Amino acid sequence: MVRPEKATLTDRDPQERQRQGSELNEAEAIERAKQGDAQAFQALYDKHKRRVYSLCLRMTANTAEAEDLTQEAFLQLYRKIATFRGESAFSTWLHRLSVNVVLMHLRKKSLPVVSLEETTQGGEEDTPKKDFGAEDLALAGSIDRLHLQKAVDDLPPGYRTIFVLHDVEGYEHNEIATIVGCSIGNSKSQLHKARMKLRDLLKLNRAEKAGKS
Amino acid sequence: MNCVELQESLAEIEDGSRADQRAHLKTCAECSALVADLNLIASSAIDLREAEEPSPRVWNSIEIAVRQLEAELNLIASSAIELREAEEPSPRVWNSIEIALRQEGLIRPPRSSRSLLPSLSSRWAWARWMVPAAAVLLIAVGVYVRQHSLAQQLATDLATHPASAAVSDVAIAGLNDDDLLQEVSEQTPAMKAQYADNLRSVNEYIQDAKGNVDANPNDEEARRSLLEAYQEKAMLFELAMDRTQP
Ligand SMILES: [Zn+2]
Repeated sequence: MVRPEKATLTDRDPQERQRQGSELNEAEAIERAKQGDAQAFQALYDKHKRRVYSLCLRMTANTAEAEDLTQEAFLQLYRKIATFRGESAFSTWLHRLSVNVVLMHLRKKSLPVVSLEETTQGGEEDTPKKDFGAEDLALAGSIDRLHLQKAVDDLPPGYRTIFVLHDVEGYEHNEIATIVGCSIGNSKSQLHKARMKLRDLLKLNRAEKAGKS
Repeated sequence: MNCVELQESLAEIEDGSRADQRAHLKTCAECSALVADLNLIASSAIDLREAEEPSPRVWNSIEIAVRQLEAELNLIASSAIELREAEEPSPRVWNSIEIALRQEGLIRPPRSSRSLLPSLSSRWAWARWMVPAAAVLLIAVGVYVRQHSLAQQLATDLATHPASAAVSDVAIAGLNDDDLLQEVSEQTPAMKAQYADNLRSVNEYIQDAKGNVDANPNDEEARRSLLEAYQEKAMLFELAMDRTQP
């Protein structure tokens, strides 16, 4: 399955290109933020807030929680930025920190970070639904972002985590296994089930819309 | 491969590119549509990456929290200075320092505190005899060491065993460990355990040194070691005396 490269994203997102142009200043902002410069810290916030907040919102499907977690992630950034050594990209480091904040929150709420279902379970739920009467998603050529967003929010929490980490955030299965503490096989099967579930949800959504109009 | 098997295989090989997957997909429109849909879902997901803008109140709370954090850190830093002289060391600490420095000869006991004039009514009777006692001890040790080498030269020391002579000299002077400990515990009870420890170790030192001298009577090093052991003990008595004087 071909996953879009970052370059593709840059090409189609002028905002992102603009951000990359200011990339040179990020190192400086990081150094200044390490010294406690509030302006530099705010610059880092402005640059990364969308990505961090979107991650929090997708993982929790709850605005208030996402706001709290975004705040917590940036406060942790503020406390820990002096330990950032620049071996990894700052954004990678910050996103990983944010993922940990969210996972910690989910665990505190005793929500399943990963669904405990067996990977071998080939239930009826996993077979393609033929009774929607809706066209294949692929034939439509694209998926509306808001529909996908809504469908992700409707995923069971365990599926949601893996889908967001893999397909949205771009983590590999071995990284996910380390981050959430599951097997690579578990991560793969959860991702597959999440995508299957999303397909159902998207089709259902499309069928409902067709029924209304 | 049937439809269910194909779907299960997609968890491992997501794009359906394996030979048996391809064979099934060629003949099955349902599954081909499924694979296309899953590909589309996966590739659309990246659109969610920066989809949402946090409300301005998020930054407001961060700013407030950061300011509060800074204020707390400043408070901690400014309170820290109060810890500078907050603690008083136990008297044991100075005692150990004093013993070590005297052993190295770096400090001397304060002469002024030691009155050589006997005072009949003094409760410091013990302290008064301590001075001569310490002196006697050192003299006795000196005599012992000299006697010992002399005796060795004359090869007649087997019967007399000068070590016991030195000990009895000390005993005659009234210098014994129990007196010292009792006096210390009356005057400075906090120091008693420390003195008991010190006494025990200096006595062991003396025993070891004696053993060495007896085994190697001609060994200059062993004799010096024994002398030092006695000096250490004398110093301990001297210290106790200084401390128990007003
Ligand atoms: Zn099929």
